[in-house]
Amino acid sequence: MNTNWLDVMLRRLLGFAGVMLVLSLMIFVLARVVPGDPARIALGPSATQEQVDAMRLEMGLDDPVLIQFVNYVGGALRGDFGRSLISGKPVASEILELLPATLELVLVTVFLMIVISVPLGVVTARYRNSWIDNTGRFFSIIGVTMPSFLFAILLQLAAANFFPGWPILGRIDYTLTVPQGPTGLLLIDSIAHGRFDVFSSALQHLAFPALALAMAGIGQVTRITRSAMIEHQRRDHVLTLKSFGVPDRVIIFRYLLKLSSIAPLTIMGLEFASLIGNAFVVELVFSWGGFASYGLEAILQKDLNAVMAVVLVSGFFFIVANLIIDVVLLMIDPRLRFKEAR
Amino acid sequence: MTVPAMPQPEALSTRYMAWYRFTRNPAAVIGAFMVATVILAAIFAPLIAPYPDHVGAVVDFRNRHAAPDLAHLLGTDKVGRDILSRVVFGFRVSLLLVIGVLGVAVPVGAALGLAAGYFSGLTERIITGFTNVMLAIPPLVMALAIGNVLEPNLVNAMLAITLLWWTWHARLVYRVSKSIAAEDFIEAARLAGASHWHILTREILPNCISVISVKTTLDAAFVILFGATLSFLGLGVKPPTPDLGSMVADGRQFLPEMWWEVLAPGFAIFYATLGFNLLGDGLRDMFDVEA
Amino acid sequence: MDPLLDIRDLDVAFRTYGYRAHVLKNVSLSIPEGGRVALIGETGSGKSVTAKSILGTLPGNAHVEGGSILFEGRDVLQLAEAERDRMKGTSFSVIMQDPLSSFNPVFRIGRHLDDVMRFADMRLGERSGAAERQKRIYEVLRKVQLSDPERVFSAYPAQLSGGMRQRVLIALALLHQPKLLIADEPGTALDVTTQDEIMKLINRLVSENGLSLLMITHNLGVVRQMADDIYVMRHGEIVEHGPLRQLFTSPREAYTRELVDAIPPLYGPKVVDQPPVEGETIIALEGVSKVFSERRLIGRGSEHTAVKDVDLAIRKGEIFGLAGESGSGKTTVARMIMGLIAPSAGSITVDGVTMAGTGRSDAFRHLTQIVYQNPGTSLNPKRTVGQTLSVPLRFAGLERARFDARIAELLRHVDLPAHYVSKYPHELSGGQKQRVAIARALAANPKIIVLDEPTSALDVSVQKNVIALLQRLRDELGLTYLFISHDLSLMRNFCSRIAVMLRGELVEEGEPKTVFADPAHPYTRALIAAVPVMGDEEEQMKPFVSAEERQRFLVDAVA
Repeated sequence: MNTNWLDVMLRRLLGFAGVMLVLSLMIFVLARVVPGDPARIALGPSATQEQVDAMRLEMGLDDPVLIQFVNYVGGALRGDFGRSLISGKPVASEILELLPATLELVLVTVFLMIVISVPLGVVTARYRNSWIDNTGRFFSIIGVTMPSFLFAILLQLAAANFFPGWPILGRIDYTLTVPQGPTGLLLIDSIAHGRFDVFSSALQHLAFPALALAMAGIGQVTRITRSAMIEHQRRDHVLTLKSFGVPDRVIIFRYLLKLSSIAPLTIMGLEFASLIGNAFVVELVFSWGGFASYGLEAILQKDLNAVMAVVLVSGFFFIVANLIIDVVLLMIDPRLRFKEAR
Repeated sequence: MTVPAMPQPEALSTRYMAWYRFTRNPAAVIGAFMVATVILAAIFAPLIAPYPDHVGAVVDFRNRHAAPDLAHLLGTDKVGRDILSRVVFGFRVSLLLVIGVLGVAVPVGAALGLAAGYFSGLTERIITGFTNVMLAIPPLVMALAIGNVLEPNLVNAMLAITLLWWTWHARLVYRVSKSIAAEDFIEAARLAGASHWHILTREILPNCISVISVKTTLDAAFVILFGATLSFLGLGVKPPTPDLGSMVADGRQFLPEMWWEVLAPGFAIFYATLGFNLLGDGLRDMFDVEA
Repeated sequence: MDPLLDIRDLDVAFRTYGYRAHVLKNVSLSIPEGGRVALIGETGSGKSVTAKSILGTLPGNAHVEGGSILFEGRDVLQLAEAERDRMKGTSFSVIMQDPLSSFNPVFRIGRHLDDVMRFADMRLGERSGAAERQKRIYEVLRKVQLSDPERVFSAYPAQLSGGMRQRVLIALALLHQPKLLIADEPGTALDVTTQDEIMKLINRLVSENGLSLLMITHNLGVVRQMADDIYVMRHGEIVEHGPLRQLFTSPREAYTRELVDAIPPLYGPKVVDQPPVEGETIIALEGVSKVFSERRLIGRGSEHTAVKDVDLAIRKGEIFGLAGESGSGKTTVARMIMGLIAPSAGSITVDGVTMAGTGRSDAFRHLTQIVYQNPGTSLNPKRTVGQTLSVPLRFAGLERARFDARIAELLRHVDLPAHYVSKYPHELSGGQKQRVAIARALAANPKIIVLDEPTSALDVSVQKNVIALLQRLRDELGLTYLFISHDLSLMRNFCSRIAVMLRGELVEEGEPKTVFADPAHPYTRALIAAVPVMGDEEEQMKPFVSAEERQRFLVDAVA
């Protein structure tokens, strides 16, 4: 029966390829309706008409739109997003350079989200309507409703007033020399090079940005976990185990937890989109200097090629995250494997 | 404690049960109160604001960066304008955004979701397919991109948010509509000769109303949040119109000394989003739906 | 000798929405060692609450307000929780009601069994290894006639049929030999033949192992084979109690008599023969088949033949019964007749018009109407009775001015008071909802009404009235009924002709009298034999079915 894995995954992959295609079409169309000539923007007002025409030719702006689109998608598939209209460097290499910083932040954030919100969801459901539950719910609703930038600023204020010396800007203490490679993730690279001073500095720098970024997700996932646990507690299968005296802790931590992880996982996939969005804010507040900062800069400066690449890369990460979640869900829930078989 | 005996079980109306759940939920009642204050403040802003003229391009350099005191309960900003007055008017902008976005996104999303759930086959596949694509776009990134292409102002911010927002309602209503469409009473209506229009508007839609209203209330919070984030990043309402997100961004350069310039508008946003969220949660418990 | 279980004056109340609902009032019940006791009642009578009180699985808003539950002389209500847990699964066990929802869907069956056994072992102070437990579990699985225990053990719940899951639930209850077995409507959700097998199995296990049994059910027919002592419950009170024979033959209480009389007989003098109907053919099916196919992305898609080459002719004014178990294709046939789906092959003629595809003219639409099985989902919860009834009127072209009069007339037809026009479905009982559904079907002025198990979700006492109503309406309005059901005893008395379907094919057709006296197809024999009946004489008049035959036609084949 497990042969359906292939079928299910293939469907997902095809679906995601379709999503990427439509996304690139949308961003392409959007880029073409921009008022003003991209070549003119790239060269600045002092350039001559000949220079602009030469640039238009180089950028392929005089080709039919369909050809332009095919060329663009073809290039994007090869990792070529064109040159930045501002710096003149290839967008892909600029993004690649800044991506590890954001990736590290996002990974730590997701880690925080899981280790904080799942236990919190379980505990609040277990002690429903007690003071533990009320406190947990209070914090999760704050997480959901407080703007990330406000939370980030509050963390900085708290650091300034209560933990003087705790880093609140940047990725790393600027006095340290940073080891190069292999991953670009400071936490991993520092260990690979045996530089524990770098590791601890990177970890300190990460703590607040990751917390600020995780806050919304923590609130959401805690709430979903809690309500899934409560919902499933009422079901017959729990009654079955209770009727035979299987201890509560086993029912909760084995039977309910696995079943109740399906809903929060599904939500986490969608939450990932807003997480990418919030990264723009958090990177700005903490001067993180990652991919999102690059994106924000590109948008404010109307660097079209860079903006298109940023949207596509964000969409790509969203899709990869959801693909991973789909695989995890398929492992957790056998019904998904059987259902699509019929 | 004496508890009154239950009358016949049929006599407990759903309305009674919903009201009972709502009033036993202090968070919901508090949320309703918070939402009411935000709405009232926005409507009567010119009457409430101590310095109504401070919403414009007024400067009063003698009073710049004044800490909260009796004259300026929430202090003043970098050009000496009263922050409380600007916060009260800021609620107006936030609520306008909510009305503009949800006024379009909810009906459009609901109509598409309704149709996708009821008509199976091609209609369903096209609508759900498109919705899924739209959901894969990080909304803030897309809104930033759109806002950049057009001029950053309130209407364009609305437009950008609306373009992405309807998908959530489409998705939700689709789920409910699909399950309702499978019920026997829909088939019975079809057999009785009812038109598709009748079935969509009279049979299915009434069953989706509670879900839609819960989701809309919760969404009001997220639209405010989203709009504030956009303007915090510099793509919102144009100055000098008071906008809570831009006020936070403006005040940020004077941290940590002039903390009120950030915290006052920041917590104003939080107050509004929290209120709508608590109310939405309360309504969800009240109607006993998943939204 | 003291009884094994002795419930004395048990009072239980629920708190909901600021009200107190008194659900058990002075309930007293006792089960002797080795005795088989049945607790009978309709929906909401409090029988399941009684079981949960014994097991200690009452919901959080329930309060035991008085009384005691003595098990071997000890009051379990006074015991500490740990003490009470120790009795679960070892002193008394429960067979859960719903095989479909009683397992956690993301865990293997074996995990459930092993955890229940492991923790019961621990409470008994025994140490057990995983391998040893697995051996013991396999043994119990074989005892409940699951011949391939390895497969069952490693399967996920969704991979097993309802009947198999019900057997696993029985195995769960027998992992440690309990003294008392509580069976809460086992098999109600399953097909007749499977349910019959399950009952026989429980009966055999109880007698072989010398267990005591508390059987909770609403089905009096089941009780005859399963119990010696009977308690009848209504509105949270025990209304009558006595030995089985006395209760069945000379009930003291009117309510008990009503319950007994409501069961339609299968054989004997009380059986009603519907007169055969002569008349023109109104529905004709010729060589009708229906194939559902599903495409897949890779590999070959699957095809499922739901209906295979069915010929059928129904005469005007008949009550034509179509019998069969789940998946037999009877509902598909009805949906094709109504024009909701198109046949893959063959032709369907209704009232002289041969249908092609699903496209139907407006006049044709009103010809066939339907009454559904589940009154809970057949009415729109957001629409009043009047609004529901006005839909067919509007599209039948009646002037709006005459709506009120027509709706009042329809309500009169189905014996509902005129003021019900403004009520919402949640204000109605199950039987009343079903009457509204019948009125809606009538509103379109149909010639044919499809009755899709219209009474199976109703309590027996209500069932009888609805059937009487349907009969009267047929006579008054000259309707033709297509009655879909698995309830053969009801069909015996209600239908003028019946047909039996098995796996998409029509295997038997004829007047009930002849079909029941001398069923031609072995499956019909198996079906009839599985119907629970009220008396021994009736039992003897059932056709004989060999064990292999019974197995052959179990829809829910055992692994």
